[in-house]
Amino acid sequence: MSNLRPTVALTLGDPAGIGPELIAKLLSKPSTLQQANIVLIGDPWVWEAGQQTAGVKVETLAIESLQQARALDSDRPLFVAVDSVKPEDVQVGVAAASGGASVLKVLDMCLAAVSQRHIDAICFAPLNKHAMKQAGMPFEDELHYFADYLKVDGFFCEFNTLGGLWTSRISSHVPLKDVASYLSVERIKQATRLIYQSLAAAGVAQPRVAVAAFNPHGGDGGVCGREEIDIIAPAVKALNDEGLPINGPFPADTIFLKARDGQYDAIVTMYHDQGQIAIKLLGFEKGVTVQGGLPVPITTPAHGTAYDIAGSNKASVQAMENAFAIACRMGASYRAQTRG
Amino acid sequence: MTTSTEFQHGMTAPLKAPMVITAGEPAGIGPDLVLMLAQQPRQHPWLVIVDPELLRQRAIQLHLPIEIVQWQAGDTVPQAAGVLGVIAEHLTSPCRTGELSTTNASYVLRTLERATQGCLQGCYSAMITAPVHKGVINDAGIAFSGHTEFLQELCKVPKVVMMLATQGLKVALATTHLPLRAVADAITAPLLEEVIGILDQDLRIWFGLASPRILVCGLNPHAGEGGHLGREEIDVIEPCLERLRQQGLQLIGPLPADTLFTDKHLQQADAVLAMYHDQGLPVLKYKGFGQAVNITLGLPIIRTSVDHGTALDLAGTGRADAGSLATALQYAAHMAAIKEHL
Repeated sequence: MSNLRPTVALTLGDPAGIGPELIAKLLSKPSTLQQANIVLIGDPWVWEAGQQTAGVKVETLAIESLQQARALDSDRPLFVAVDSVKPEDVQVGVAAASGGASVLKVLDMCLAAVSQRHIDAICFAPLNKHAMKQAGMPFEDELHYFADYLKVDGFFCEFNTLGGLWTSRISSHVPLKDVASYLSVERIKQATRLIYQSLAAAGVAQPRVAVAAFNPHGGDGGVCGREEIDIIAPAVKALNDEGLPINGPFPADTIFLKARDGQYDAIVTMYHDQGQIAIKLLGFEKGVTVQGGLPVPITTPAHGTAYDIAGSNKASVQAMENAFAIACRMGASYRAQTRG
Repeated sequence: MTTSTEFQHGMTAPLKAPMVITAGEPAGIGPDLVLMLAQQPRQHPWLVIVDPELLRQRAIQLHLPIEIVQWQAGDTVPQAAGVLGVIAEHLTSPCRTGELSTTNASYVLRTLERATQGCLQGCYSAMITAPVHKGVINDAGIAFSGHTEFLQELCKVPKVVMMLATQGLKVALATTHLPLRAVADAITAPLLEEVIGILDQDLRIWFGLASPRILVCGLNPHAGEGGHLGREEIDVIEPCLERLRQQGLQLIGPLPADTLFTDKHLQQADAVLAMYHDQGLPVLKYKGFGQAVNITLGLPIIRTSVDHGTALDLAGTGRADAGSLATALQYAAHMAAIKEHL
């Protein structure tokens, strides 16, 4: 096997959720194995339970640590066994601190391997933020935990991707009354530049990125709000002056129609519901979250742990497959950049 | 135009009075659209308030055959293909297709006044408005913020509600053309009670729903997530909905807007109340495929409208799409039939 293949770490996610089942379904597909040198990390009993739920048996090659993964590039998934959680501490379908602690332990190991360049991307199965907080995670979400661990000091944000369309947002989980205060020329420039660069890393040759307006009808020339005139349009112009072919601002009620019709690869939205309403309309079950602005690609399905269907073999693997495919493409770019 | 299943009942009964279309901005596509619709036989009678000469010229420009009949009260309303009943209102000055002129602003408003008065007097069963150009009316020195506000004043009602509708989805807005930074402060209990009251009442009167089920959006992401992402749901929206529920209204919510617009929730409801413009309209446009209509609730008359503008560049070219006006007519006929049979 070529050592140019990215080495991608996969995790089982929250042991009480659908993650182990999804990973079993993902790894039982021959098309998965061709995309990368895969190293799965998790508790053997959780992995076994996932395969049982999914009704599949996946042959793996046991290795000692993530450190060995690159050298052992294999047709079979590599498997690093950990002891992060006991069977008696997991009740399928129920969020618990023990599950959160397991997720944190495994992700810590992946992040350490990233720091030492043993792996080129991480794709994690669904986790539960509240369980992780109960287990002591001192951050609002996993993105902030990754950024802290990897000592990121630049701009970072989450991207939601759906098929060929990526979105990011200038403000996320903040009250609507505060969203205007999050807008700044600099923030819009950073967010837009980041999604442009990330798309390029994911293999989109000339990303077509559009920026959404903030007010109804894009402010109607200032009658209905001035953020377009004072902040968004100047940011777009500055990006154009840098040579990035960014378009906008476009009113929210038309921009996603253009995207649906294939005119754009990415949309930078100004607040949570502006993007999320459209994304869910377009087909949420296929969506992927990309953790943007980190030194290494990290992806996950956009959906959660789906506790209500955990253990029942009803989970769709589509988003997990998409998340893995993006991790592989971005991991290959990362590998090409960091090699040597 | 295919008739959607939504309109099946009530469509067969003839309306007692004709509907009336205002052709809107004379330089825009309004006249084109009525000429296009008049090429087919009509199931329900409708008339157009417009300058007949303007219509003749536009028909020549579009190469559309048309026989224009000046309609008088008591006359039969023509419904055959190629024949159009017109209530004449004359332009102030000649109109060039695609070119705005401030001198005709007063003409546009006269057509609206006649339609409104006629509906109030019961001469017409509904009015359907083609697009006007707000800018040119204001440039003419007449303060005009839109059809909705103009009709509210003419009908002397304290509050109207903008609702957009397309197949399977009706979305009313608690706030409309407000800068987004002003929306949170505008969401107050008195406003919500007034808007929900009008929405509930008009869904009963105009849409024949005995007990309308209304899905209410939260204001904040995840509907505030228990106060972590904003407190308006806890402090304003929930208490208000609870008071209205005690009065017998069927209200579901407040729900996170991004999950509310999925079929799982929409199937349980007759209409959605969105807190702000861009929370509701993008979904409607997405689902509507150019077949969305704007309905003004809270008026004593039926008024529906296209969901697009004057499209000056398309006027006279034959490239305008009459789909939205046809849908606006369908909705108006449906509402009028239900009102008559209640």
